[in-house]
Amino acid sequence: MTTEDISFTDFIASSIHDMKNSLNIQVHGLETIADACRARADTETLAGLGPIIHQAHRMNANLIQLLSLYKLGKSIYPMDIAEQSVADVIAETLLHNRSVMEFKGITMEVDCDEGCYWYFDRDLVTGILLNALNNAYNYTTDKIRIAAHIEGGFLQLRVEDNGRGYPDAMLQSDGVTANKGVNFSSGSTGLGFYFSSRVAQMHKNGARQGSLTIENGGAYGGGCFVVRLP
Amino acid sequence: MTFSLPQANTLIIDDFQGMRTMLRDFVRLMGVTRIDTASNGREAISQLSANKYDIVICDYNLGPGANGQQVLEEAKLRNFVGVSTIWVMVTAEKTTDMVMGAAEVKPDDYLLKPINQVLLQSRLEKLLARKQSLGAIEAAIRAQDYSAAIAQCDQQLSARAVNPQEILRIKSDLLLTLEDYAAARALFESVLALRNVAWAKTGLGKVLFYSQDYAGAVQLFQQVLEENRMYMEASDWLAKTLDAMGNSAQAQQVLQDAVQLSPNSPIRQKALGDTAYRNGALDVAQAAFEKTIKISEFSPHKNPAVYARLARVFSDKDSPEEALNILKRSKADFRYDSAAALQTAAAESLVYQKMGQVKKAEAAMMDAERLMEQLADKVSPEMTMEVAKSLFKLGKKDKACGLLRDLVKNNHEDAELSRQIGAVFEGENLAEEGQTLIKASRNEVIDINNQGVMLAKQGDFQQAVKLLRTAAQQLPHSEVISVNLCGLLIGLMQQKGKTEDLVLETRELLGRVREMNPVNKKYHAYALALARLANDH
Repeated sequence: MTTEDISFTDFIASSIHDMKNSLNIQVHGLETIADACRARADTETLAGLGPIIHQAHRMNANLIQLLSLYKLGKSIYPMDIAEQSVADVIAETLLHNRSVMEFKGITMEVDCDEGCYWYFDRDLVTGILLNALNNAYNYTTDKIRIAAHIEGGFLQLRVEDNGRGYPDAMLQSDGVTANKGVNFSSGSTGLGFYFSSRVAQMHKNGARQGSLTIENGGAYGGGCFVVRLP
Repeated sequence: MTFSLPQANTLIIDDFQGMRTMLRDFVRLMGVTRIDTASNGREAISQLSANKYDIVICDYNLGPGANGQQVLEEAKLRNFVGVSTIWVMVTAEKTTDMVMGAAEVKPDDYLLKPINQVLLQSRLEKLLARKQSLGAIEAAIRAQDYSAAIAQCDQQLSARAVNPQEILRIKSDLLLTLEDYAAARALFESVLALRNVAWAKTGLGKVLFYSQDYAGAVQLFQQVLEENRMYMEASDWLAKTLDAMGNSAQAQQVLQDAVQLSPNSPIRQKALGDTAYRNGALDVAQAAFEKTIKISEFSPHKNPAVYARLARVFSDKDSPEEALNILKRSKADFRYDSAAALQTAAAESLVYQKMGQVKKAEAAMMDAERLMEQLADKVSPEMTMEVAKSLFKLGKKDKACGLLRDLVKNNHEDAELSRQIGAVFEGENLAEEGQTLIKASRNEVIDINNQGVMLAKQGDFQQAVKLLRTAAQQLPHSEVISVNLCGLLIGLMQQKGKTEDLVLETRELLGRVREMNPVNKKYHAYALALARLANDH
């Protein structure tokens, strides 16, 4: 194969493919070790594994976001807006993160009708939810709630936690644009917000457009990550 | 569905040892005991040919050789997997061709990595339930009983199915297959009244295309693409519509844009090659055909016609050596395929003719003619036109015209084919003569049919049958003649009483009609009438 046969896009895609394989095996390996710890009641090692698996999940979320943004930027993402069962999409997102949440003793609550269907790109919205859950995992005390309702022609997806909530500075500048630069203590680059907001905006119905907002309050009085899709 | 997860015979296809082991561990934890693995496309096909699998979990990216989509296509084509098999593609990213490309065969679902055991299990359980709910519809489709399939769709829709959009989509495809454009239009419009969804808008465009409202269809396809330029199905239809309007330059541009975005569909690349060749854009045609050959190397779409076309391109570019090379490759790649040999021989004759080697050109054409006779009704209209083109170049105009005349007569209601035949004449600077021939041939068949109808109206079924029988002998591939003869035979038996010979003759004809077109509108009515006659004592 000559060099011009391989485009940069192909390179990115195949590298991410490779990294995802590695991550997948890594997480599976860690979870197998965790099972062994549980079997021999080794709580100390077990407690140490949770944060490591969480970091692997964050890496995966970043990979998904980078690749999607790259393709959205070049207008080559295969956007596939189709009717989806919202409850199914939420349930699957939780299955991704379940073991991590269990490690930290976080209780998950879902508030969504089984009969709730809406139009969106399944993979992109799963990406938004994964990112929101990874954030909530960092900030929550011990509870996270995902709520979905249809209201005024929009699907509203809320991820709420019972932590301290977003700082005022972020709320005032709507968080999405404020969060520039890397904050190594929180591990935040703003990528997740940018991705989520971009994806929400890609969802359009007639003249209406999706949006992302952050607020404090909700059912637990902590941070709330709110996506609205037309 | 007759199996539950633990009983499922499962195949895991992944080139990466670590992933294979992990996936096997996952399904083992679900209680599955019968698990095979394959590490590449070739191994997978050999496993699939030897065993019947209920579940196939396949990585899209399989390293060198076939990819997951190509393995799926081959397995479906060779009937190694049926409608009840669950095929899940595991992939690092969603690809256009898998989700909304030109691919006719799609996996039941895809899972984005990383995956874990609970996620995979949850997805497989849902797919099992879905297969169960769609089982009756799929069985009817498989039996080619499309009306029954539509009835099944309606039944599920009125019982408030969990996936109404999916069933509406299946139903709309069935309506298009049955050419019930009014019902299809109503379905698409009712979906669009609620929300602007790409599949329904594209569907409405197809209805307009089939109703020959090409301008309206173009507008709809363009709207879909403005909203989402990765919706390749709309782009493929846009090109097809522009072509039908005679605007092949714009069609070529649409296809060129599409292959930029999604280069790995052999069907689209071939369409680009054909359109560009007709437009005289030889470099574009060459690149498109070369790419088609490259990406379909491990695919069931591997097609000898593309090699023959590429050879013509080289010949037109005055590179006869390269043309002969590609034909040599075709001979090697398709050595047990007489249809391929026919196309190769026709192209070879053309190349030698251009090189001035008349003897070799004549010899190749003799081969082609011999193969045509051997293959008889397996010769497609496309192949016939290729042979005719070569005959023209050899100066055998009468023979070429004869072939094309028969082709028109056998398909006299096929406007698209007539247009293509017209283009062959145009290519020989015989546009006017071609139009006259096409018109005369069509009228000849129409006249016979009309005479038959007239005689039947006068009650003379005997004479009508005699007339159409002669026509059917001369035009064995004409669906219209065959089906009308069926009607007359049934009328004759109703009038004069049945005989064993007439019942047999009608039954055989009906079988041929169904083979030519499983959704012929008169087929079911005639089959029913024949069954009544046959059972009547």
